[in-house]
Amino acid sequence: MPARRLGAADADSVPRVETVRLTRPDLDRRRALNRTHGRLVFASSVFALLFLVAIGRLSWVTVIAPRIPAPGDRPTTAFFTAPEPRDPELVAVPLAVPRGPRAMITDRNNEILAISLPTAALYANPRELVDPEDAARRLKAVLPRLDEAQVRARLSEPEKRFVYLARQITPREKLNINTLGIPGIYFENTERRRYPMGRAAAQVLGGVDVDGHGVAGIERFFDRRLAEDSTPIVLSLDVRIQAVVRDELIKAMESFRAIGGCGIVMDVRTGEIIAMVSLPDYDANHVGHATNEERFNRAVTGMYEPGSTFKLQTAAMALDYGTVQLWNEFNASQPIKIGRFTISDFEGKKRWLYFPEVLAYSSNIGAAHVAQTVGAERQRAWMRNMGMLNRISVEVPEAGLPIVQTAQAWKEIVTLTVAFGHGISVSPLHVARGTAAIANNGVRVRPTLLAMVPDMIPPDAERVMQQATSDTMRKLMRLVVTDGFGKTSEVPGYYPGGKTGTAEKTGRGGYQKKANVAAFTSVFPMHAPRYAVYMMLDEPKANASTYGYATAGWVIAPAAGRTIARIGPMLDMLPELTNAAKINASLAMPLQPTRPPNGVRSPPVAAVPPAAVKPGRTPPAVAARPAAPRPSPAMPAHTPRATPPTGAPATRDLRHEASQPPSTALLAAQYTAPSLVPAPNPNR
Amino acid sequence: MIALRSRADTSALGRWFWTIDHWTLLAIFTLICFGYVMMLAASPAVAEHIGQSRDIFILKQVVFLAAAGVLTVAVSLLSLSGVRRLALIGCGVAFVLTVATLVIGVQIKGASRWISLPGLSLQPSEFLKPFFAVTAAWLISEQRRQPGFYGWISAIVLAGMIVGALKLQPDIGMLAVIVMVFFAQTFIAGVNLFIVGALGGLIAAASVGAYFLFKHVRDRIDPFLSWNGAEHYQVIRAKQAFGAGGLSGRGPGEGRVKDVLPDAHADFVFAVTGEEFGLIVCSVIVMLFAFIVLRGLIRLLKEQDLFVILAAGGLVTGFGLQAFINMGSTMGLLPTKGMTLPFISYGGSSVLAVAFGMGMLLALTRRRHGAGTAWGHNAGSAP
Repeated sequence: MPARRLGAADADSVPRVETVRLTRPDLDRRRALNRTHGRLVFASSVFALLFLVAIGRLSWVTVIAPRIPAPGDRPTTAFFTAPEPRDPELVAVPLAVPRGPRAMITDRNNEILAISLPTAALYANPRELVDPEDAARRLKAVLPRLDEAQVRARLSEPEKRFVYLARQITPREKLNINTLGIPGIYFENTERRRYPMGRAAAQVLGGVDVDGHGVAGIERFFDRRLAEDSTPIVLSLDVRIQAVVRDELIKAMESFRAIGGCGIVMDVRTGEIIAMVSLPDYDANHVGHATNEERFNRAVTGMYEPGSTFKLQTAAMALDYGTVQLWNEFNASQPIKIGRFTISDFEGKKRWLYFPEVLAYSSNIGAAHVAQTVGAERQRAWMRNMGMLNRISVEVPEAGLPIVQTAQAWKEIVTLTVAFGHGISVSPLHVARGTAAIANNGVRVRPTLLAMVPDMIPPDAERVMQQATSDTMRKLMRLVVTDGFGKTSEVPGYYPGGKTGTAEKTGRGGYQKKANVAAFTSVFPMHAPRYAVYMMLDEPKANASTYGYATAGWVIAPAAGRTIARIGPMLDMLPELTNAAKINASLAMPLQPTRPPNGVRSPPVAAVPPAAVKPGRTPPAVAARPAAPRPSPAMPAHTPRATPPTGAPATRDLRHEASQPPSTALLAAQYTAPSLVPAPNPNR
Repeated sequence: MIALRSRADTSALGRWFWTIDHWTLLAIFTLICFGYVMMLAASPAVAEHIGQSRDIFILKQVVFLAAAGVLTVAVSLLSLSGVRRLALIGCGVAFVLTVATLVIGVQIKGASRWISLPGLSLQPSEFLKPFFAVTAAWLISEQRRQPGFYGWISAIVLAGMIVGALKLQPDIGMLAVIVMVFFAQTFIAGVNLFIVGALGGLIAAASVGAYFLFKHVRDRIDPFLSWNGAEHYQVIRAKQAFGAGGLSGRGPGEGRVKDVLPDAHADFVFAVTGEEFGLIVCSVIVMLFAFIVLRGLIRLLKEQDLFVILAAGGLVTGFGLQAFINMGSTMGLLPTKGMTLPFISYGGSSVLAVAFGMGMLLALTRRRHGAGTAWGHNAGSAP
């Protein structure tokens, strides 16, 4: 109520007009105040809600879903526990102490390849030290390997409260240091990774850094798994086989002064890698001191032109596509000129060659002609199918990518050169896998470094060619060893088959004439393939025993043969000599087969369009040659060896062919039929 | 001693005792006691961490906490006009010093927020928060009282200047709290909801802008947003601390998070509390904050004076928001912000500034004769 006007009459005491003028702002204020009070209530509700949320969250993080740090923390490392899986930031925390010991790595026979031993690291809190100088002197007295000046400097950093002094303290040293009773000196329980086999499988295992993290190989690939799960990782490697391969490689390397080497033994049926050696290697216990060259795993990271070992692929491809028959002949009498390139043979026969001869004598020209019958597109598809274009998913991070032409650039010249393993670079493991697939009934398996459960069906196994192709290829591979450039790898009773390959290394601005990569890829035994053996020397130099040759047949095939002879018994395979005649017969393949009366395979080769050969440039490579003189009368295919390749031995250049003396008792036993004993080498 | 005073006592202290809000005062002093205990728990480890003498480190904070108690009571003795005068002067000084940090400030952790004084580093922006709340309240309420007064404009301009200074430091956490407090005040003042909404939208847009503009804001928000990605290191440690604490805690002094978190005594003191004292004690602390905030707001419902409502509302809002944001970010509920937990966190500026704020709150909410009978005509706010 407005105030009464003093002195006015009662009826007139409250003037109407003035009342209106006064009350409007009053009402406004009152309305505003009511609104303010309403909003205060709203604000209170919001805050009540916020604090309820806070209490709820508090209960959540403390009682309902607490995050418990790992037990056994000490104050200094209280929360630097093992990194959680989704926590990459914490992996780098220097004080990280793994949960348990890092898991062991063993070979397939549970031989320990890597093991973590508990040790202690010595550290200090400089703030708690009374006399750094004295402490450094006394520590040096019981731990002579310390650098006293450095320790003194570290202990004299008062702004720090944690400095490492030494790692890998033995229990005795720990006791001695504790006896000193220096305040501010502590031990941190750590572990030390030991590799009892030292250099064996160094690149496969890799190694760990000072903090116990894998830096390469299996250690790096399975770094998290090894840190989190302490059950051992069982590798497919067999350390005994590994040692043999390494031993033979080292001998060959020394004999031929090679700069490096590589050896792979793989189970062709499961893909398990039984041995993987790369030289030079290093002691896995000191991976930090290894040079890059030593750490380089040639078997998976090195990309080399496979050279003539690829002719196996070319042959299998042409047989599988049906573009070539065994009795077809190919003109190797003159080089192929295409563009500015000339494809010629190394120590060639300078004549038409039968298909098996192309492999046995390793004719580049012949292989190029064979590839022409298939054509670029199908050739590339074949290579893709054999896994030659992609990284191999083997369990080391170093697995490399092959260097191949793109589909657009895969022109005729590429087709011709890839046929004999040039113009494409793949790792040795690629070659070994491809060879294994050809021998293993045409089934390609995935190479693995992990041991498989016995009788396990290998994962990712895929048929990549017909059974018949593989059957024929096994005979051809065997032929290379019995009659071709691979004779030096022959091991009685193990029936190896394979292919040599010598490729000039690519360097700055083209091929290096003097630098070769000599490789031999093989599988044994050919009648029931079990293991692929690949061996390679990087830049071997000829010596007197090889008559000046540094080709694969001379420098590495013998090593592969010796390796097979040594590892066979370890792999529970004794030389199969009693059934030698039967086995040899089953693997027999004439160098110059004749067309069977009723062509088993069709279409006839003459009908095959000369795939990529342009008319006029080169003479048709593949052609029926009825007029050519047959070196021998037609023989049934099952008695091939009865027909010595007439004429060929006389003209064959034996300098880079067989030199293995066959006159051992074993060989005599193997070749029971007198006609099967090879003719004495005229050059010997 | 105080309790012995009779209601008939009309001395200044006697009047104060009978008009003050006892429950809020009790809650504040309980918080100060908690602050003392937590400082004893967290500080030694941190002192060792940063290489200071442990005794001096603790002694400093003991002095600050004691000063905070005295300051709270002293400020709460002020009349309304006294509060207003203190706030205006305080706001001016704090603003000048905040601007000065840009020139003569000490860079700590990438931001120049501190002014080095002998014995302590002063963070003037901490003081800006309570003083600006009261200043803005006065400016707004003054326009209601005398329409010719450009209160709103002045408040907005002042807010803009403060925002600019804090952005330059940069101190985005403090900036956010001051803006939110000002926003709450405009809301409480009864401004048209449309304008409030527009202002809210503007703040939201500015937040998004800050995210894209400032790298250190992004660094804090990103790990928070990616729930399944890499969490912030400190938050993981804090959560583990809470988890280790459980219902009743590891026990006083048994905490470990303080050894590994450099901010254990300041921004992450709540994690230390959680680890050493557990859910029950932490809940008590949360409820103390909630009690002060809610009681403060609800008591304002009986208040008629717009200045008192806005000033007390702003102070309480700032206090509550700061507490909630600190606890929320420690528990992984919010992105981490450089913000202290009032009275509990170590730090002179923070404790003293909060003491100023709570002192003014107590002064504003003292029972006054004549309060509730008039609107804006109290003795304290006479022109």
